[in-house]
Amino acid sequence: MEGTPPTAVINTRALTKHYGSVPALTDLTLDVAQGEIFGFLGPNGAGKSTMIRTLLGFLHATSGSATVLGRDVATESVEIRRLTGYLPGGIALYDSLNGEQVLDYLADMQGRTPHRRQQLCDRLELPTSVLKRKVRDYSRGMRQKIGVVQALQHDPELAILDEPTEGLDPLMQQAFYAILDDLRREGRTVFFSSHVLSEVERLCDRVGIIRAGRLMAIHDVGELLARRRRRVTLRWRGAAPDPSTLPGLEDVQVDGNRLIGTLSGEVAGFIRSIASPNLDDLTIEPASLEEAFLEYYASDEGSDEPQRDGR
Amino acid sequence: MSGRLLVQTLRWYRVRLLVVTLAAIAWGVIIPIIFDAFSDAVRDLANSGAFPEEMLNIGSGSLFTLPGSITLGLQHPLALAMLGIFAIGASATAIAGERARGTLEVLLARPISRNAVYVSILVALLISVVIVLVALLGGMIGASAAIGLVDELDLAQLPLVLLNGFLLWAGFATFGLATSVTFDRPGPAIGISVGWLLLHYFLEILGSLWTDAAWTQEYSLLHHFNPGEILTGKLDPIDLVVTAAAFVIPLVYALVVFPRRDLAAPA
Repeated sequence: MEGTPPTAVINTRALTKHYGSVPALTDLTLDVAQGEIFGFLGPNGAGKSTMIRTLLGFLHATSGSATVLGRDVATESVEIRRLTGYLPGGIALYDSLNGEQVLDYLADMQGRTPHRRQQLCDRLELPTSVLKRKVRDYSRGMRQKIGVVQALQHDPELAILDEPTEGLDPLMQQAFYAILDDLRREGRTVFFSSHVLSEVERLCDRVGIIRAGRLMAIHDVGELLARRRRRVTLRWRGAAPDPSTLPGLEDVQVDGNRLIGTLSGEVAGFIRSIASPNLDDLTIEPASLEEAFLEYYASDEGSDEPQRDGR
Repeated sequence: MSGRLLVQTLRWYRVRLLVVTLAAIAWGVIIPIIFDAFSDAVRDLANSGAFPEEMLNIGSGSLFTLPGSITLGLQHPLALAMLGIFAIGASATAIAGERARGTLEVLLARPISRNAVYVSILVALLISVVIVLVALLGGMIGASAAIGLVDELDLAQLPLVLLNGFLLWAGFATFGLATSVTFDRPGPAIGISVGWLLLHYFLEILGSLWTDAAWTQEYSLLHHFNPGEILTGKLDPIDLVVTAAAFVIPLVYALVVFPRRDLAAPA
């Protein structure tokens, strides 16, 4: 496809999906490179699952095009699914089977050896005694673990995970993050949707922000965090300096010898500018993606123009 | 087609299939015994004029001959229910049920086309229908042989009975599956499929009980499977054509519609 990077694992061009007259995805253009963990971020109903289901052939695009692992989603979805591991949001399993039977059945249907299964079960604390129990007796978290294992057990080239940590307790979330870190190290590509900002921040190389079916922005997570505004508190011995002499500091409030404001842009230049023996204390609150995300949504209300940086 | 999906589907059906098969054998055995025990009494009753003869020839069957009794036995609501468990119930819920539960999504995440899923499930349903049909006919013929009445049947026609019966019930199964691939919930699929069977039963019974409405029987698929007539060497080839058409048309519909449907996330 013209304009597609050679290593793009997922590539969409003006991908559009309408349900009747209702737009679910509009002109979505996106590349996900091999070996990256890409977070697809947006509130419920933004179009995250629609995008994933279109990539896997569950939905048919109204217009535009998409390839996954170099295969056209419209004509080669079976081959795409052979190479992909998919965890649906709120996964449903076969209640009459036990966990092991479910994994065996789905591995057989996948047609690939589930050689990662044991390792995944160990890390997600799914011992044989649990796998021998009927799925109908599983808690939501147990089902989600089985969902993760079935998606990754055959070591797919691409993992597409829809809200993967839903229902997992914090310990299991950490175990899951470690699994994704390993996949990244092994050069596997992971595309996952989430509205849990902290996990996107923790895991992703890049993040795409979608709203009302439109891709609003694609950012390197590192850059997004670096660019966001931080809350800064400075305390001086003696009178505080003139705020206009401090680069990047905005919305400044002076309270005696204390100076409170928001810092945007580069931190290093700001630190250099305040370096003084009279500086008694400095607090810079860590930038969280959650704030960046909320800030983004708040400031970008009404704008439909996508912003891009990173790859 | 996926052999693994076929085997798994049959595993899911196995308990139901065993129970229904045993019931079908039992029902099949009862029919010739009832005929043997009561046919003379029924004939006397008919001759007495106490009952209109139409009341004793319900559907395309008859209580006065063994072949007619076999037809009656296979058109009886009990036999329809046994065959309908798979041809209607299992087929209508097969895909719509998986869709409603969310398991279709997990299945279709595998490298299998929707048509392969459809065909695998259809084959499992057809195998089940054949087993129940063979159990019904086997019970009837076995019991007929046991009580010395088998000479009234032309057993050389048995393959044609099986073929005609298979096409009839395969037609109901493809209809049920066609509704199943159309809806996201099993309720409408079951409702329409059961309604389809009841419509044909109604047309068949109405035509047999009311001579002025005899023409309605021609529009009933059930009327186009008359094992009694086949077992006496009187197969109407039109019956095979009609039942084959009823099998093929919903099959083609499903193979065209299912791959083109949008499968949005289950609610």
